[in-house]
Amino acid sequence: MSAALLEARDLSKTFPGKGMFRKSRPVQAVRGINMSIARGEAVGVVGESGSGKSTLGRLMLGLMPPTEGSVAVEGRPLSDFTGAEWRRLRRRLQIVFQDPYGSLDPRRRVGSQIADGIRLHGRGDAAKQVAALLGRVGLEPAHAERFPHEFSGGQRQRIGIARALSTAPDFLVADEPVSALDVSIQAQVIQLLAELRHDLGLAMLFISHDLPVVATLCDRVTVMYLGRVMEEGPARPIFNRPVHPYTRALLSATPRLDPARRAGRILLKGDPPSPADPPSGCVFRTRCQHAVEACAQTVPALAPFGDDGRRVACIRAGEIG
Amino acid sequence: MKRLIIPGTLVALILLAALAAPFLGLPDPVRQDIAHRLAGPLEGSPLGRDEFGRDVLSRLVWGARTSLGVAFASALIAGIIGTAFGLIGGWFRGLGELLTVRSMDVILCFPPVLLALLVVTLMGPGAGTLILVLSVLYLPGFARVTYAEVLSARSHDYVEAVRALGAPAPRILLRTVLPNVAGPVLVQLSLAVASAVVLESGLSFLGLGVVPPAPSWGLMIRGARATMEQAPMLLFWPCAVLTLTILAMNLLCDALRDAVDPRTAGTRSRLRAVDRLLPGLLPMAKPAPGTVLSVRGLTVEIDTPRGPIRPVQDVSFDVGAGETLAIVGESGSGKSVSATALMGLLPPVARVAAGEAWLDGTELLRLPEEQMRRLRGGPMAMVFQDPMSSLNPVHRAGDQVAEAILAHRRVPRAEAWKQAEALFRHVGIADPERRLRAFPHEMSGGMKQRVMIAMALANRPKLLICDEPTTALDVTVQAQILDLLAELRRETGTAIVFITHSLGVVAEIADRVAVMYAGQVVEQGSVAEVFHNPLHPYTRALLAAVPEGDAPPAGIPGIVPPPHAFPEGCRFAPRCRHAEPRCSAGPLALEEAEPGRDVRCVRWRELARRGAEVPA
Amino acid sequence: MLWVLRRIGISVALAWLVATIVFMTLHMVPGDPAELLLSTGGTMPDPATVAELRERLGLERPLLNQYGAFLMGLARGDLGVSLIDEYPVLDEIALRLPRTLELILAGTLIAVAVALPAGTYAALHRGGLFDRIASGVAALLLAVPVFVVGTLLVLVLAQMLRVMPAGGYVPFAEDPPRHLTLLALPAIAIAKGLSAVLFRMTRASVLDSLSRDYVRTARAKGLTARRVLVRHVVRNALTPVLTVLGLHMGTLLGGTVLVEYVFNWPGLSTPLLRAVEARDYPMVVGIVLTISGLFLLINLIMDLLYAALDPRVRAS
Repeated sequence: MSAALLEARDLSKTFPGKGMFRKSRPVQAVRGINMSIARGEAVGVVGESGSGKSTLGRLMLGLMPPTEGSVAVEGRPLSDFTGAEWRRLRRRLQIVFQDPYGSLDPRRRVGSQIADGIRLHGRGDAAKQVAALLGRVGLEPAHAERFPHEFSGGQRQRIGIARALSTAPDFLVADEPVSALDVSIQAQVIQLLAELRHDLGLAMLFISHDLPVVATLCDRVTVMYLGRVMEEGPARPIFNRPVHPYTRALLSATPRLDPARRAGRILLKGDPPSPADPPSGCVFRTRCQHAVEACAQTVPALAPFGDDGRRVACIRAGEIG
Repeated sequence: MKRLIIPGTLVALILLAALAAPFLGLPDPVRQDIAHRLAGPLEGSPLGRDEFGRDVLSRLVWGARTSLGVAFASALIAGIIGTAFGLIGGWFRGLGELLTVRSMDVILCFPPVLLALLVVTLMGPGAGTLILVLSVLYLPGFARVTYAEVLSARSHDYVEAVRALGAPAPRILLRTVLPNVAGPVLVQLSLAVASAVVLESGLSFLGLGVVPPAPSWGLMIRGARATMEQAPMLLFWPCAVLTLTILAMNLLCDALRDAVDPRTAGTRSRLRAVDRLLPGLLPMAKPAPGTVLSVRGLTVEIDTPRGPIRPVQDVSFDVGAGETLAIVGESGSGKSVSATALMGLLPPVARVAAGEAWLDGTELLRLPEEQMRRLRGGPMAMVFQDPMSSLNPVHRAGDQVAEAILAHRRVPRAEAWKQAEALFRHVGIADPERRLRAFPHEMSGGMKQRVMIAMALANRPKLLICDEPTTALDVTVQAQILDLLAELRRETGTAIVFITHSLGVVAEIADRVAVMYAGQVVEQGSVAEVFHNPLHPYTRALLAAVPEGDAPPAGIPGIVPPPHAFPEGCRFAPRCRHAEPRCSAGPLALEEAEPGRDVRCVRWRELARRGAEVPA
Repeated sequence: MLWVLRRIGISVALAWLVATIVFMTLHMVPGDPAELLLSTGGTMPDPATVAELRERLGLERPLLNQYGAFLMGLARGDLGVSLIDEYPVLDEIALRLPRTLELILAGTLIAVAVALPAGTYAALHRGGLFDRIASGVAALLLAVPVFVVGTLLVLVLAQMLRVMPAGGYVPFAEDPPRHLTLLALPAIAIAKGLSAVLFRMTRASVLDSLSRDYVRTARAKGLTARRVLVRHVVRNALTPVLTVLGLHMGTLLGGTVLVEYVFNWPGLSTPLLRAVEARDYPMVVGIVLTISGLFLLINLIMDLLYAALDPRVRAS
């Protein structure tokens, strides 16, 4: 297990209900997740809104404390790191955000924002490194003197990536980094992330709602629904032959250029339930065409399936897979 | 910024006069001279003397010193403490929030003058009491503003990013949060000063503020009231100075607020007189039979401070009954503006500069508003992108659908509701009786979009324009909506114009596709042909940019040009790998490559012959 | 319904907090309150008088005991008696509160009647002549303090032109026309600030509402311009206006004190100002609590109205 760079154990996060006098119900964003990421490995997390995928990303970085369970870096729990050690750890774990407009401070020059990571960790000549980082993400060194509003969405996303790289991290959480971009720009940023992974040996947690993007970029994929993992394993096999009914429905709903490449449409019934009021047993059962009575009884365990190293949380995986 | 200059200068002058009062060589403001009681203008007293023979001008200037001194002192004290409270409360939340921000709110339960009177009762009048009361009164304002700004800053990704970089809390507060909070705090400070001047003068006017004989504008008005029949000018001067000061400060606040808050700094562009081209300058072929909508040469112009721009230029397409035409393009391609123009819903700054659009023999683009209104929601209907904001939050879903029916048909209200219920059932809303009575916020995004579709279908339209109707939805819900639209089209034979940025969605739903780039249609044809044998380099590049789970997709270098910088010739040329000098020579026309297949590219023939990079 | 009960509960809690703060302000200020109340300028008050006042105010008892008695008194409606003439504070308030309320109501009605139509019209014809003039007038009205307006109204209309009475009060039952004539000027003075604030808010709110997606939807449905305006623009624009109206009631109530003083309107401000000057502590506390309570009540009503207008509030 020490091969893992980052490892999550039984990770859960519950957000308390809001309101002073009558609290709304707590939201169970992430429930009982186990996950391990090796050095240089890219893991994709796929899910729709309310699946808890972004919360998982923040938990893995230690940017918010888990309600239960723990995240360990090289076998050492994040909660062990304090003071100066915590700050040194921060250098290694970085994040790229979805919104290219909200993720940069509008009042500071981009060079100074990228230099933060270098200065905070005393990593030498900031100006030179900022120029190099800007070049690395495909921008000009002279861009350091400009303000965020002078850039397009795609360019801002590149700046956000440069800022994350400024500390020379080993692990990067990319939280829907291309969702807000146009198709042609999206492809540019996906290319850049693929190159960086390859050149720098970055481990990556790539959060997305788009299964094809994840299959393109990641080694492994975790499919989440209402805070739980439905299916997990090597990306390409899951993309080509999904087993869990939710993964199948998700993939069949994803529009493809050639509709013939997409297996017959599985239309899910209704809307996803609220994370504040999830169904008992298997959380997907209310929309699943294969659901039987037993699905409501127990939470299905994530169990190995087949021989390609995947795990599936479905009691009927054997029958339908 | 221009709006800051005049009130800024005025406030600066008043401040300067107050500060320089001792050096202006004015008579002693408290020296009484009963002999010149209520005297008019004298030598050395251009504004005359008051009821005790004191110099009015001198009292006005020294009064400014008192009023502004009290106002600034209290605003600064409140500002410093309140901002600190807000920062602490917003950053640490929990107990800190309760102690610093929530506790302040109690002060807001008192009407300000009353709280001031309560304290004056205990401590007696005087400038010190005033400063104390006023700073307490303005504390909650600062604490709240800072608190709200800190919370909003905290939710910004850039603050999270600095946290992820490992910056300690004080550094984040001072370097990242405070600069972003500074604007609103400055506005609050100017508001507090202006309001403090009003309160100070009010209390002094009641005789409970500054203690006589010290000069104060409020006291001067109080004194002049007694003699206003003999010397009305005595009343006029302090009133005028006080009003002018507050007016200047208020204007400064407004200008500051606009400068700080980009949302209110609306660029107010002046509307030019409607200049519409004469219709029928270019005779056009009658639309082919069976065509529901035929658009020719649609051009939309928008006035901007930098001059008019044309986000849509020379757009032409046809849609037949029961057919779905997809208009696909990236942001800034002009696809939504085209649809809005067809519906006659362009904002006032935009107008149709050229072109025609025929809906069943009616020309839409030059139709008077009343006739256009009858078409909208009747023969032509529209579904918008964001179902969350497109439904009115204060009316029941059923009312909003029934309203669409009642706008076009004379039926009793109950009948309209009954039809709305049938429509709900039709668009697959479970439990329609209950959902009709629901408010939008009680529904999920997918359900709201179904309501929008039900509303659009209410009067059996011949043409349905869908503007990115699934973009705001999750993929599994998107699949449901696409399925519903396909089914409705089969049943009703409605022609659909479907606007989207997703080529995958085009492949799912459309028969034909028009690809738009930078305000123009660059290619159109049947979906199968365009996707398998794209003729335009942009279409080809766009298809290659879609991630399909195999190799990393290929991006297109550069960005879509903004409308004020559209290239002269082929608009895609600067990003095109096949570009040649002649591509930029002049405007290009949409050329018919084969029947039902158009392309806007000078090189399409040679590129097609070379069979350049057709994606598998 | 639950929401309404909860909102009422919050108001009661706030009223208790207000009472507690008033109590604490008196007892937490450094020094002996009795001595503080009696001292004028730098002179030391007579120890015997201080002792007597302490006795009358019950300051000898333990603080918690006094606090309990204070709250109990409030609950029974017993606000104590004036230190000056031993007249019960509650009776004084009962006599004068209706007059103050009448003034506030008249002022608010005038402000709403002027500002809502004007603000809507200005927004619909944004940038036009009416919009520019009305916005300018509103800025000016905001800048003139209420007592200046009052004083100038008296100067011009009463002293110089002699078309209106300078001030005073006649009960409605005695002489209705005279009563209304006397009410007009103070009500206008009260309405001036509020109408300026409401005008600006209505204008901004209608402009905001006009740009909303649901207004576009309403137009896409083919509704007539009038129907779009009434059902979708103005209806939605009302809620923020209502909030502002509630928030500004505090300023309005304070302004009332000044207006009553200027126009000799015998509402609550006369005994309040007299009491502040004479440091008649039970009277000041009684009136401050009454007006603050009124303020809380108005805000409660505003919130309930708000909920009636906007279904989202009821749900949260």
